[in-house]
Amino acid sequence: MEQTQHILIVDDDREIRDLLGRFLERQGFRVSLARDAREARRLWPLGHYHLIVLDLMLPGETGLDLARWLRGQSNVPIVMLTAMGEETDRIVGLELGADDYVPKPFNPRELLARIRAVLRRAGGEGGERAREPPARLIRFAGWTLEPARRRLTDPQGAEVPLTGGEYELLNVLVERPNRVLTRDMLMDLLHGRQAGPFDRAIDVAVSRLRRKLEDDGRNPSLIKTVRGGGYVLAATVERVS
Amino acid sequence: MLVQAAGLTIHALDRVDLQRIAQAREVSARAFGIWRTMLLAPPDRRRPLLEEADLPPGLAATLDREPAVVPGLPPPPPHLLRLFRVEALMGGPPRFRPRDTLTGMRGDRMLVSLRLPDGDWLNLAIRLTPPRPWHSETFLAAFALMTVAAMGLILWATRRLTRPVRQLAEAADRLGRDVNAPPLPEDGPREVATAAHAFNTMAGRIRRFVQDRTQMLAAISHDLRTPITRMRLRAEFVEDEELRAKMLADLAEMEAMVNASLAFAREESASEPTVPLDLAALARTVLDEAVDSGEAGAEAVSYAGPERLTVRARPVALKRALANLVQNALRYGGVARIRIEPQPGGVVRLIVEDDGPGIPAEALETVFQPFRRLEDSRNRETGGTGLGLAIARNILRAHGGDVALENRPGGGLSAVVTLPG
Ligand SMILES: Nc1ncnc2c1ncn2[C@@H]1O[C@H](COP(=O)(O)OP(=O)(O)O)[C@@H](O)[C@H]1O
Ligand SMILES: [Mg+2]
Repeated sequence: MEQTQHILIVDDDREIRDLLGRFLERQGFRVSLARDAREARRLWPLGHYHLIVLDLMLPGETGLDLARWLRGQSNVPIVMLTAMGEETDRIVGLELGADDYVPKPFNPRELLARIRAVLRRAGGEGGERAREPPARLIRFAGWTLEPARRRLTDPQGAEVPLTGGEYELLNVLVERPNRVLTRDMLMDLLHGRQAGPFDRAIDVAVSRLRRKLEDDGRNPSLIKTVRGGGYVLAATVERVS
Repeated sequence: MLVQAAGLTIHALDRVDLQRIAQAREVSARAFGIWRTMLLAPPDRRRPLLEEADLPPGLAATLDREPAVVPGLPPPPPHLLRLFRVEALMGGPPRFRPRDTLTGMRGDRMLVSLRLPDGDWLNLAIRLTPPRPWHSETFLAAFALMTVAAMGLILWATRRLTRPVRQLAEAADRLGRDVNAPPLPEDGPREVATAAHAFNTMAGRIRRFVQDRTQMLAAISHDLRTPITRMRLRAEFVEDEELRAKMLADLAEMEAMVNASLAFAREESASEPTVPLDLAALARTVLDEAVDSGEAGAEAVSYAGPERLTVRARPVALKRALANLVQNALRYGGVARIRIEPQPGGVVRLIVEDDGPGIPAEALETVFQPFRRLEDSRNRETGGTGLGLAIARNILRAHGGDVALENRPGGGLSAVVTLPG
């Protein structure tokens, strides 16, 4: 890790806030804690935060309001904590531009993995281009991807369910169309680690995704295999905000 | 029906009688008329007049030198004489009375010979045309029409009478499946309306009772999430690796129970829109996610069926239903095989198969009840709430489909899902 990254945790439950803070500190982050939206606004100008962990169920001003306000201030990545089953909150949050969500009761390690993935994505792209506004719809080759709902729709309008891994892979591919992505790059983007010599996870995920996209595995036209070990999404990608 | 048949018979017999009497009246009137004509006409005019006479069926008249009634013929039975009022002929005013009257039977005909004053005989042959009520064309048509009409009437009446009872039975059946079934209409005859009202009141009480309980379940489950989250975080600070792993496993189990209870209490599917969905992709997704989460090895799951199959469904809910069935197959049967079989008529069958011990025949239905688990699953170290099948069935029925369990002849269990196309 290049420098200590600073995370702001906004949660109204004192114990969760403190324990999560200690947990993240142990993982090498710098942490600030806010009990509600007001405190978060007060802390906002005092530090340079790399990421916000935001509980949507806040007393007073809701987490969604705070997320909207934060988006007005900057592109700081936001990971939401949502109550399971509160579909609409989650969707609104993602449409507002939150980067990811973890349902409560969350598994701390799962949350940590999501935080790292979001930071990686934000950091990796940050130098090259400003973060794009979140797309509501992403269209490619007749297919439609709806990030807030993690939903893929085929050219006839039928929803085609994806596993978590398939979705993540497709998401990485549509963000970088017509660019060769080696297995190592994909492993790094998806799991934050290098592909080992026996690591077939990426190939399995690609072949499953091809099947869902009706892309003939022997003669793929959408997700092409590149000689020397890599893949490329051969399609024009249109983003609708 | 019996009443109808009896009614028709009475009607037919009545008709026979009427017909006979009417015929007899006409015959006797005409016979009397002819006698009077013969009596009053000059003797040379009698024969032409008789030939011109237009006689009704069953009556023949001839003018002869001899009587047609010869000695030795059996006398006609009194009821025939009465029927044709032969005595009226004989007992008229003296002026019209024949000099002689002979009666006798020849075959089915009654012969009446009347002697004119000048000695000639007017011979009348009266034959009763056997009334054939069942053969008359109009009668047959009328009979058929009446039968159809009567049957229609009877059906209509019985349906009308039994409809409220049937509606009540259907409503009770619906309530058994779905406490939120719409209420019965409280109209119609007073007794029916009262019964419907009583039923609706009862359904309302049951509904409130169920709602209270599910709300309580939802509240408890909801409130458990904060302590579970805290405990998870605390477990991360436990130094003892083994202890920490055990705590996390317990917490994972608790969370699964909380999630299942919430899913059951909330009926999430109710608010989710119905959209076209690729069922084949959904089946493969559920199986692959079981593999990805480590619940199963890749070789333990398989899919057989069409590459793509679009149905109309609520994706999140249907996925949960299938995931519950797959989870059971893996947990209790070691493997999960999904087959999709589109049926003629658009219905889709989806079967989740395993190679486990199956379920005793008498428990194949009861395991669908909430919190119902079989003895050996309770004793085994398999966490579970007993809500999986109840949730799956709720969801599938809300889709207009269903799920049932069957033991496979070769061993193992099949969960058979049906979905409307
Ligand atoms: N595939 C199966 N093979 C054998 N028994 C099963 C199977 N599926 C379900 N059962 C039995 O039915 C019970 C109820 O299942 P379910 O409603 O999913 O609850 P849970 O899995 O939480 O116990 C289980 O406890 C188990 O005894
Ligand atoms: Mg189960």
